[in-house]
Amino acid sequence: MTGPVVSIEGLSIDYVVGAGRFRAVSDVSLTIEQGQVVGIVGETGCGKSTLAQAIPRLLPEPPATIGGGSIEFQGVDLVQVPKWKMPLIRGTGISMIFQEPLNSLNPAFRIYDQIAEAVRIRRARESGDRVADDRAPPPFDYARGPAPEAGDALLRPLVPAGAAAAVHRRRIGRDERLHADVLEYLRLVRINDPETILGLYPHELSGGMRQRVMIAMALSERPALLIADEPTSALDVTIQAQVLTLMKELIEEVRTSILFISHDLGVIAETADVLGVMYAGKLVEFGPVGEVFEHPRHPYTKALLRAAPTRYKADGPLTSIAGSVPNLARPPTGCRFHPRCPLAQPVCSAEPAPPLRAAAGRADHRSACHFADDVGRIP
Amino acid sequence: MASSTATPSPPARARGAAVSALRSVATLWRVLRANPLTLVGFVLVVLIGLGALVMVVAPHLLTSYDPRQLTGDYSTAPSWRHPLGTDTAGYDIAAETLYALPLDLAIAFAIAGGAMLGGGALGLVAGYWDRPGSVGGALSVVILRITDIFLAFPSLILALAIAVSLGRGVWQLIVAILVTWWPYYTRLVRGETLAVKHLPYVTAARAAGVTEGRIVLRHVLRNVLEPVVVYFTLDIGTVLVTLSTIGFVGLGPGYPQTAEWGAMISFYQIGGLITAYPWTVFGPGMAIFVTVLAFSLLGDGLRDVLDPRSRRVLAGTGTAGATTAAPPAPQAPPPAEGVGPEPGAPHPAPGGIG
Repeated sequence: MTGPVVSIEGLSIDYVVGAGRFRAVSDVSLTIEQGQVVGIVGETGCGKSTLAQAIPRLLPEPPATIGGGSIEFQGVDLVQVPKWKMPLIRGTGISMIFQEPLNSLNPAFRIYDQIAEAVRIRRARESGDRVADDRAPPPFDYARGPAPEAGDALLRPLVPAGAAAAVHRRRIGRDERLHADVLEYLRLVRINDPETILGLYPHELSGGMRQRVMIAMALSERPALLIADEPTSALDVTIQAQVLTLMKELIEEVRTSILFISHDLGVIAETADVLGVMYAGKLVEFGPVGEVFEHPRHPYTKALLRAAPTRYKADGPLTSIAGSVPNLARPPTGCRFHPRCPLAQPVCSAEPAPPLRAAAGRADHRSACHFADDVGRIP
Repeated sequence: MASSTATPSPPARARGAAVSALRSVATLWRVLRANPLTLVGFVLVVLIGLGALVMVVAPHLLTSYDPRQLTGDYSTAPSWRHPLGTDTAGYDIAAETLYALPLDLAIAFAIAGGAMLGGGALGLVAGYWDRPGSVGGALSVVILRITDIFLAFPSLILALAIAVSLGRGVWQLIVAILVTWWPYYTRLVRGETLAVKHLPYVTAARAAGVTEGRIVLRHVLRNVLEPVVVYFTLDIGTVLVTLSTIGFVGLGPGYPQTAEWGAMISFYQIGGLITAYPWTVFGPGMAIFVTVLAFSLLGDGLRDVLDPRSRRVLAGTGTAGATTAAPPAPQAPPPAEGVGPEPGAPHPAPGGIG
């Protein structure tokens, strides 16, 4: 298609706390192409979520301030857009899935109302720039997933037909077209018996179901960019697997651009096309997932990969990275990783790390290390 | 499954509405039955409300006397002719007490309602737009400092002072108390707003492209409303006591031209009637006591009813047995679990998640 969906140039984000000021994200540049899934990994506190929330300008400003750089989205620099105009970009332009599915749905509204609000927002905007025509195909036609087949009698609708069904429909609103649209998105996220779910409050759903509803909400706005900020970390492991399977299937169906934030390398390996590794607010490596996994070109990436538990090395202690993420109020001199780096040389503490540089022969695989070529020799 | 979205026919719809209304009443009854004190409060409030309505529409159903009618019986004890007795001037105390009911209730609702709307709106603004250094932050500071100034005065003294300067009358009384009453709502709503606005669902709504005004009026307000409505209900009683106090010291609507409970008690007491004819104060005194008690009990129960999380528990429709074939009530479906298993999906759905 035509150019990247988002291109971030030299973005820095500072937090001003009291008299102190520290840089949570410093000088990050990355692009997300049309239909691409970009994964960002890193330890807790390395600026992943700050970056994710900075793109749709959701960070509370203050204490956060944008220290520099640009976020180009569909030809507009979001850093320059006044805050009151941002709601026009959020939702239909950039939508988000959060890590707390338990609290991300408003407890006072039924599921129908929450999704209907998102659908209404999209409809209002679609009718703004083109003639409202119900028969015109939508820009992305991914809501047409097949309805799940209820093979099991236990999974059949709990709401009976007849008068009780009429009551149920009354409870959840009158607009039949809106109703159909909302149902379609609930089916898209593989919720069985969506008719029943519509009338429930969030507290009546389990965490996994709530996260599905969140995903349905985000997708119902047909965003150009979907940001998933650790969508599975708050869920327990079996539900994580289900939601991840769903995400993977949806990525296939939806083909929208996705920025997928996670601290789980396995999740990224399964979902992303491109991987970015962040450390202490800096993007230290960026490249195709397979390439980064096979031939990491930054010692931190290598350490992360070694620390990931796999079933092939089930015996023996788990590997960890020595030391901890530096305090960003007083970052180390030079390369921020050098106190924990096995390759550290005097130059690493004296000079700042180089900007992202491409590997020889691989223009799309870049890393910020003085000794990128030596990373392969770390045991 | 998809065909179930078809529009129901108009008769089905009307029937559905009737069934729906019945169900709401049934739920309300279950909640009340499980909480006897709330039931008492509810019944009393309903009776008081109906009584006030009857006194406005057809007062002669409840009392055969006009409050300003000289019955010719002076200072008689309670009897069948005069259920609460008469005073020295020959007025029927039951008639006066009943005629004062709609007036006292209306004044109390006007004051508490006005304070809730005005003070609440200020609190919402002050709580939601409170970032230092912005226009909203400056406005918030101004609102809060004015609130502090009003809170620094003892509210009864301030209300009395205003009532004195405005003179006697219903509207004067309302204004006098309202001026001292709104800051509590501002404080309450601001506090709740501050807590709610940082919750993830507000950020999620913002991320979905909901505009700030709509977030405040829909997402924040709806979640702030619950404690405010409870406070309002409890507050009716407090307002009633305050306005009776002001009436008692002789600054309410002028008695004996306009009957008002506080003024009545004062009149009987100052005249020395309370020692010679103790039943004179019983009517208005009990009226104040019962009304305040009713709204207090209802307010306590309301807190539980308004919260969707506790409503079901109170109603006794537990969510146990969610997977049985026959749900306990179609209107209150159990937590729907289950995941659509894709053909050949690696994770066949278990019975439920979480």
